[in-house]
Amino acid sequence: MKYDVIVVGGRIGGSVSSLFASKNDLDVLMIEKQPEIGVPLQCAEATSEETFQTIGIKPSNRYICSEIHGAELHSPDGNHFRMYPHNDEIGYILDRKVFDKSIAIQSAKAGTDIMVKTTVKDLIIREGKVKGVIAKHLGRTMEIEADLVIAADGVGSNVARMAGIDTLFGTKDIGSCVQYKMVGMDVDPNLMQIYFGNEIAPGGYVWIFPNEDGVTNVGVGIRNHKKTAYHYLNKFLSNFEATPVEMNIGGVPLSGTVDKTYTDGLLVVGDAAGHVDPLTGGGIHLTVICAKIAGEVAAEAIKGEDISAEFLKRYEERWNDKVGNVIKKSLKYRKVLDKLNDKELNALAKFMKGRDLDSITSASLLGLVKESPSLVRHLKDII
Amino acid sequence: MVCIMKFDNEKCGYCGACTSVCPNSSLELTENKLIIETDKCDDCKRCSIVCPLGAFLEVEGN
Repeated sequence: MKYDVIVVGGRIGGSVSSLFASKNDLDVLMIEKQPEIGVPLQCAEATSEETFQTIGIKPSNRYICSEIHGAELHSPDGNHFRMYPHNDEIGYILDRKVFDKSIAIQSAKAGTDIMVKTTVKDLIIREGKVKGVIAKHLGRTMEIEADLVIAADGVGSNVARMAGIDTLFGTKDIGSCVQYKMVGMDVDPNLMQIYFGNEIAPGGYVWIFPNEDGVTNVGVGIRNHKKTAYHYLNKFLSNFEATPVEMNIGGVPLSGTVDKTYTDGLLVVGDAAGHVDPLTGGGIHLTVICAKIAGEVAAEAIKGEDISAEFLKRYEERWNDKVGNVIKKSLKYRKVLDKLNDKELNALAKFMKGRDLDSITSASLLGLVKESPSLVRHLKDII
Repeated sequence: MVCIMKFDNEKCGYCGACTSVCPNSSLELTENKLIIETDKCDDCKRCSIVCPLGAFLEVEGN
């Protein structure tokens, strides 16, 4: 067996990469370790219109659970304020199980071969270049050759590591997450609810994202803490009369992108590459942008018969142009948020109530200096 | 006496958070199984810190 490109991982990063590689007339194989693409869910499922624009599809009711117009942010003392996007951009809560599979189906229709329930055990490396994979399906091991491999195998990517790319994250860099899909949470169907506080979610936040039909995604992400995300989620939910119908577990890279996302014969995409917003933990829209670029660069490399790292460098340059600054800025914000204690979070929420980011003036900041000088010291780098 | 990590498979959610922080690549996640190469493990306990469900426990050992 020989392909132009093998994509390892069949979720958003893998399916979008393979879709654009196939659309550019490459012979593509996508390998998914699970028996079903998109399952199990490991995501809070929030994304923006940009995701659909990037892929070139219209949002479909088949996988959109709700439209999001803004977010309500809650401070540890119970205060809350609302934020709305500047450009009235609509957000969406997806049904990722349906969405991921629908992109995989589109990719298959564009010509991608797909193997499910297949694990990549190793890479074929010749003269320092990745030349394919050694895969295992139902106990049968097989060598599959390709000119290029795209590693879209998620956080802690084994495939990128096999090629010598460092995808190791520190414990402070990984958001440790648990989520339930719950029935019985009484929330506004068009608002996301976000709860901050060192007793609620140390190093992260609790989210409530409305789905459809009275179901909500309720989850917590924490970082670097001895107690588990599971502990914090159940503690939060002890105040609500609601019951779960599904549980989701995941680790999210929150330290920005890995140092290098390409090598001879290989590209790294999505969570494996750290294509995630370090402040929100959201990565769908970023991954889709980077995966599209990966598919396009793969086509250029194969057509130009050059899969060297020197050529593939353009992948990193292009995604960096598109999303590099957003990720860096969010990391800066997250590091400021990390420093705030509950008292400062309370002061920030009180200050933000009734304001949007554009209406923050020097005069209003002076009031905040009086209220919480330590908060202003922390914020000075970002305002 | 030293502390060693014990893995409780029944608590594993197969999310891969542990594999992302393992400095020795001693953890491999398959579809529904976490494979641990104990000879590569240097007992740094990072896996236990990021595990969302607390599947890694610190126990007394030699």
